Amino acid sequence: MFLRHVLILHWLTRHISTAHHPSYPYPYPSPVTLQIDAYAHLDSFIHRWNPKQKLMALTALIFAFAMVETLTLVPVMFAVTVVLYALSKLPLSFLHYRLRYPGFFLLGIVLLLPWLSGDTILWQWNWLSLRSEGIFAVALITSRFLCILTVGLVLLGTMPFLTTIKAMRSFGLPHLLADMTLLTYRYLYDVAINLGTMRRAMRLRGFGYSAPSRTQRRRLALIPSGRELHLLASLTGSLFIRSYEQSEHIYKSMKLRGYGQANLRAQSVNRNQEHTVAIAANHPLPLWGDTLLLGGILAIALTIMGLSIF
Amino acid sequence: MHIPDGILPAQVCAAGYAIAFPVTWYSLRKINRQPDPTMGIPKAALLTATFFVASSIHIPVPPTSVHLVLNGLLGAVLGYYAFPAILIGLFFQAVIIGHGGLTTLGVDALMMGVPAILAHQVFQFRHVLSRRFNQRFSNGFCAFWAGMVGIAIASLIFFTLILTTIPSGFDVTTERSAIYGLTLAHIPLAILEGAFTTMLVLFLQRVKPELLDDPWHRSLVSHPAYNEEIERV
Repeated sequence: MFLRHVLILHWLTRHISTAHHPSYPYPYPSPVTLQIDAYAHLDSFIHRWNPKQKLMALTALIFAFAMVETLTLVPVMFAVTVVLYALSKLPLSFLHYRLRYPGFFLLGIVLLLPWLSGDTILWQWNWLSLRSEGIFAVALITSRFLCILTVGLVLLGTMPFLTTIKAMRSFGLPHLLADMTLLTYRYLYDVAINLGTMRRAMRLRGFGYSAPSRTQRRRLALIPSGRELHLLASLTGSLFIRSYEQSEHIYKSMKLRGYGQANLRAQSVNRNQEHTVAIAANHPLPLWGDTLLLGGILAIALTIMGLSIF
Repeated sequence: MHIPDGILPAQVCAAGYAIAFPVTWYSLRKINRQPDPTMGIPKAALLTATFFVASSIHIPVPPTSVHLVLNGLLGAVLGYYAFPAILIGLFFQAVIIGHGGLTTLGVDALMMGVPAILAHQVFQFRHVLSRRFNQRFSNGFCAFWAGMVGIAIASLIFFTLILTTIPSGFDVTTERSAIYGLTLAHIPLAILEGAFTTMLVLFLQRVKPELLDDPWHRSLVSHPAYNEEIERV
């Protein structure tokens, strides 16, 4: 059943990498740049690693990093992360783009914590005191954040998204979640383009650019305009309706191709077939390479976990 | 309002996953009890994508602007699909734009998803209200509270987690005051979210009322037109 579902969903997802490339008409960056598997076509040790083993080992490593509580393990964390990212051959711009948004949250913590947390004062000016425990906490949080984010990108950026979901499915991800995830990923960029078009149409009709009218002059600070709120609610509502209507067409197309039919449940595939589908990379690593990487990363993860606990 | 990787201790992240697992199981069980559980998947997936994108819409609040969380609306429109939808939406936000994190996915999903399920229950109250008041008032009133509940409870969980797990150096009383203070400071935002949800629900009621139908409501499941539609598809 799962293989059949995957084939139907694959039919839906097959255009994802080409849909927006050639005639993308908008001045802002193409959604392709946002795709998590935009560099899944590269060739590296990490790309050729067995997806199931990669998922298991790198997930363990991510949780090992989350357990780090001392600064002595931070250099080890960074060394492992840098080696993995270099081995994956992913471009630095891929990482840089994803650091922008969480950077603001992190900046808040970096700016506040050294002045609030701890008792050991390093420097003081009136009531303002720089505390060593706060600096320690900031260093730890920032290091953990950077390393986990980078390893997460290595994990998800080095295989096609469909392969990632198949690997997750082999670890017990329910088919309903797998189907929803693949469909959401398939239509995310379409919805983003729809919203872009609708917002542009609104702006062309004067929304947000009009000269200050009498009504706008009377507006108070921190009070949103009811009219603007109403217009944005209508914009969001229209987007929902478009998506809902599209989802009805998709459901009918999927149904015609046999999606969700009870008689297909008999056509379940055995684990070996799933495994063959999951490692459908062009040049998979030899078995010893897979085992070596899995063993190495798991050993590092377990060592970090052990050192963090004891 | 998502917690990034590295902020929370590993035990809290593990506890988040441990609690998110039964909540997901409960939601999936509710979904699988429908006559055709696959029927709602494309709708839920497309609306998840829409929520993901729509949360980037900024509402001008002079002199700045705010973006809405919309988890209350998600609960109102999707019902029990809301929790899996939020889990998936947060996963994509974490991996695509780095908003949230992989280790904190369980915690973030609980923070957004549990209020969404509560918002769904609040929105269900419209069926009771509509016996006394007209449909428009019932939908609008319940949508307002659903939108408010979604963001208010999510804020409370967020600030509780942040202030109790990050080593802020505050004592218990100060921490508690800070949690209440920061949550109260979000009440205007909750009112804004409630108002936006009301406007959107009333728009949907006017233009596409079937989007607000939910398969969990007894009167709908027993409705002959619904059963005919199921059989036809």
